[in-house]
Amino acid sequence: MEDERFRRALEHADDRIVAGRAADGDVEAFAVLVRRYTPMMRAYTQRMLNSSADVDDIVQESFVTAWQRFGELEDLSKVKSWLMRIVSRKAVDRIRALRPAVDIDSIDRPAPLHTSPSAVVEMRAGVAALGAALRELPDAQRECWVLREIGGYSYEEIAEELDIPVSTARGLLARARKYMIVRMEEWR
Amino acid sequence: MTDDREVPEIRRLGLEPTDLDGHTIEELADYLDAGRTPRDRSIEESPGCQLALDALQRLHGLGSELLDAETAAEPEVDPTWVERVLSGIAMDARAGRRIPFASEEPDTDLGITEGAVRGLIRAAEAAVPGLLIGRCRLTGDVTAAGAPIRIEIDASALHGQSIPAVADRLRDEVDRALRTHTELNVTAIDIAIRDIREVPTWTEEKP
Repeated sequence: MEDERFRRALEHADDRIVAGRAADGDVEAFAVLVRRYTPMMRAYTQRMLNSSADVDDIVQESFVTAWQRFGELEDLSKVKSWLMRIVSRKAVDRIRALRPAVDIDSIDRPAPLHTSPSAVVEMRAGVAALGAALRELPDAQRECWVLREIGGYSYEEIAEELDIPVSTARGLLARARKYMIVRMEEWR
Repeated sequence: MTDDREVPEIRRLGLEPTDLDGHTIEELADYLDAGRTPRDRSIEESPGCQLALDALQRLHGLGSELLDAETAAEPEVDPTWVERVLSGIAMDARAGRRIPFASEEPDTDLGITEGAVRGLIRAAEAAVPGLLIGRCRLTGDVTAAGAPIRIEIDASALHGQSIPAVADRLRDEVDRALRTHTELNVTAIDIAIRDIREVPTWTEEKP
């Protein structure tokens, strides 16, 4: 009963308190962060990879890294964006392991159309249309777009993460944006 | 059924330089990132650019909305998942510095880790209902026996509790625990209440 109340209190505490305990080695507090941020980290990883394969492994590895490196987190209230950065890096590592260099040929390859006309009817909501358009993007464009618009990376950071010139990252993003705008316009 | 790419409106919104009075989508994205300053008349007065800027802005806002929607749609976190993650971490990862105890026996080396001291400090919260300790720091050279040590504790209290009263109780309890279990020369215990939780259920709700 006492334990249960304590657990609930910890679940309700803000990030700074929970992350502070976790940084000090409290496993229960770390478990709260795992429960709190697994859904976000899974959702992000699936968008980065455009697949659900490997998502569990990547999210688990990210938490292991977070636990090991908690000492480096200066501002405890930023634990959420810190975890996002870690999972983003792990996802990029996975992408690079599977595809050592950005496939420049894929940059201009027309994206496969996954969306059937009947599904289009359902896509009144902007978010659903965005999700569908994102799924159709070639890999490198999608990765740039997710890093930029969901991960909040700068162009320079994207270039560094994906090991491509900044100009390439900018070009890929421009293509991704154009494609998505046109595609979403069609569905409006 | 025709190829669904050939939707007639596909070219309604033009995004090529000819549609954008010579500007490119890259330029327009940079212009938006810069908060549309300094003001560029050739962009602001071009209808094509205005349409494209609107579309870019919509697209930009949707990224975090998409993540929020998909995060909310994820299944509830399974307890076996949490166990799986926890099974992969080293429990003693944050033992910290080693704090020596003075020993009568010259050959005996006694000590306690900083992590264990933090554990003692956290355990003191049980004496103050509703209080939760966050980070705690030991400042001073804990590796030298008898060196003056300052304890800094972040904590969270429940809405409605008197903050000074809660802090005082916690301070007394931490002081007592450290005197009982360690030889630390504690010169101050600073407590910062960083968070007030609105949880009416602490005393009422049954688990």
